[in-house]
Amino acid sequence: MISEIDIYAGLSSPIHRWDPRLKVISILALIFSIMLLYDLKLVILSMLFAIILVYISRIPFSFVAGRLKWVFLFLMPFLIILPFTVIGEGVEIAQIGSITLNFRGIESVGYAVMIVIKALTSVMLIFPMIGTSRMDITIKALEDLRLPNKLVQMLAFTYRYIFVLSNEFMLMERSLTSRGFKRESNLYTITTLSKAIATLFVMSYEQAERVFYAMRSKGYTGKITTMHEFTLRPQDWLYTVVVCGFAIFVQVAVWYGTLEGT
Amino acid sequence: MSAIKIQDLSYKYHDGTTALENVSFEIEKGESVALIGPNGAGKSTLLLHLNGILHSTTSRESIRILDESVDPKKIHEMPKKIGIVFQNADDMLFMPLLGDDVAFGPINLGLDKEEVQRRVKDALEMVGLAGYEHRVPHHLSGGEKRRAALATVLSMEPEILAMDEPTANLDPKSRRELIEILRRLKEKGKTLLIITHDVNAIPELADRVIVLDKTVIADGPTRDIFSETEMLVRIGLDVPVITQLFEILRCFDYPCDVLPLSIEGAVTNLTETMRGGNGHVHLHIHEHTHSGISFARSKYHVHIEKHELVTE
Repeated sequence: MISEIDIYAGLSSPIHRWDPRLKVISILALIFSIMLLYDLKLVILSMLFAIILVYISRIPFSFVAGRLKWVFLFLMPFLIILPFTVIGEGVEIAQIGSITLNFRGIESVGYAVMIVIKALTSVMLIFPMIGTSRMDITIKALEDLRLPNKLVQMLAFTYRYIFVLSNEFMLMERSLTSRGFKRESNLYTITTLSKAIATLFVMSYEQAERVFYAMRSKGYTGKITTMHEFTLRPQDWLYTVVVCGFAIFVQVAVWYGTLEGT
Repeated sequence: MSAIKIQDLSYKYHDGTTALENVSFEIEKGESVALIGPNGAGKSTLLLHLNGILHSTTSRESIRILDESVDPKKIHEMPKKIGIVFQNADDMLFMPLLGDDVAFGPINLGLDKEEVQRRVKDALEMVGLAGYEHRVPHHLSGGEKRRAALATVLSMEPEILAMDEPTANLDPKSRRELIEILRRLKEKGKTLLIITHDVNAIPELADRVIVLDKTVIADGPTRDIFSETEMLVRIGLDVPVITQLFEILRCFDYPCDVLPLSIEGAVTNLTETMRGGNGHVHLHIHEHTHSGISFARSKYHVHIEKHELVTE
């Protein structure tokens, strides 16, 4: 049984073999670099680079697309609203009640598209970053990268107990179904499910207490350290240079662009 | 030297319900003791007192572990002395990998890396999970989880091992495996305190039984406790099936003064009886056999009154 979060962690690709610490740092650097871009051409180039990374990682595009769909849903309003709200005065194209729609020209459409592509690219990069190592190894990599211990613990516990809770909820739902409960769009369904979720919260609170007792029984004093060994090979540095190099390249390109502009 | 010494321990929950009342007993080093009692008798609460996780102003004075009182401020030092295995294995396995879970205690004890690795390996081997370091705890089976939880405590190499229902809800094979592990620990001379409802396992695991129902009701050698059938049934407990069977056999004139508690005891008993009877066992039915059986059976069963169905 493989949990969904680790579903493609077992594949074999250069990105899978990349040292998780360097992988996390490099791709994060790339994401930040892309976030700072305000040039549509460079953003599109970055997206192509991200697509190549996903391709190399062998994570199926259908899987990535399935998840980007939801992100896109959140980004839709940008495409609709931005062309009427940013840059310049614009041309009045419609009057709805007291609201006047001013189309602000093709640049504003480009601006909206750029923001959407930037966001999609960043989310797309998460897949090769997180999806190519087992979650527990990623957590250890973060621990090794001196991420505050409290955050490491929060991640580790979330990863460990999300399955226990989802399993608990599944059992509850089965028990409801086996007694004739049917999900419908009515108030009864909503109240029943919210009661079940409330019970789940109480149960998880109590379990958290028992886990804490168990941890205290094993000498826990507030810090968790695990044992792990990461070894760096020349290839790890090569991949790092390529990905970080691209992150730096786009920034340098922006810089040259401004120089030419002046 | 006494491993656990409890003198007049009382504890009330936040809502005022009494959980424990004047509990007193002493367990010597190397002893193996079963703690039995009905649901809600305070067994688990008692367990959490042993390393100071639950405590009250009076409990500090009441409990001594290896001749030292339990300081709630120094709970992190307790694992060296007493290891507690909780009832729900999911509460004990909280790290991403099983290896991390087993290493958790030793790392907290401040041991060096080689020693931690040795202990992880040894503990996993001891519970029959050698090579499971890189397994993900939530993917283990119920029986494996239970043994893994035991390993996370064994790796701290505590002097005393206290367990909360180690064999509950396990399939027969997993139950058997767990009993074997505990038996080996007992043979090694580890001090064991085992909370259990599994009366059939007790004769193999414990030399002594303490019956708890908020306070200590009975305390003595396993055989003596199981001969007090009325007391056990009254507070909702049971005696081993083998014992019940031999009591029935006695109604058929089977000669048996001391009832066996386990399969092994039964084999010895039967062998001896056959030796005495020239290779035969003689059973007879008398007039009083049936009434004897009904009496013996009624001892073990609490009758639940059946309400007649009202049909129209």
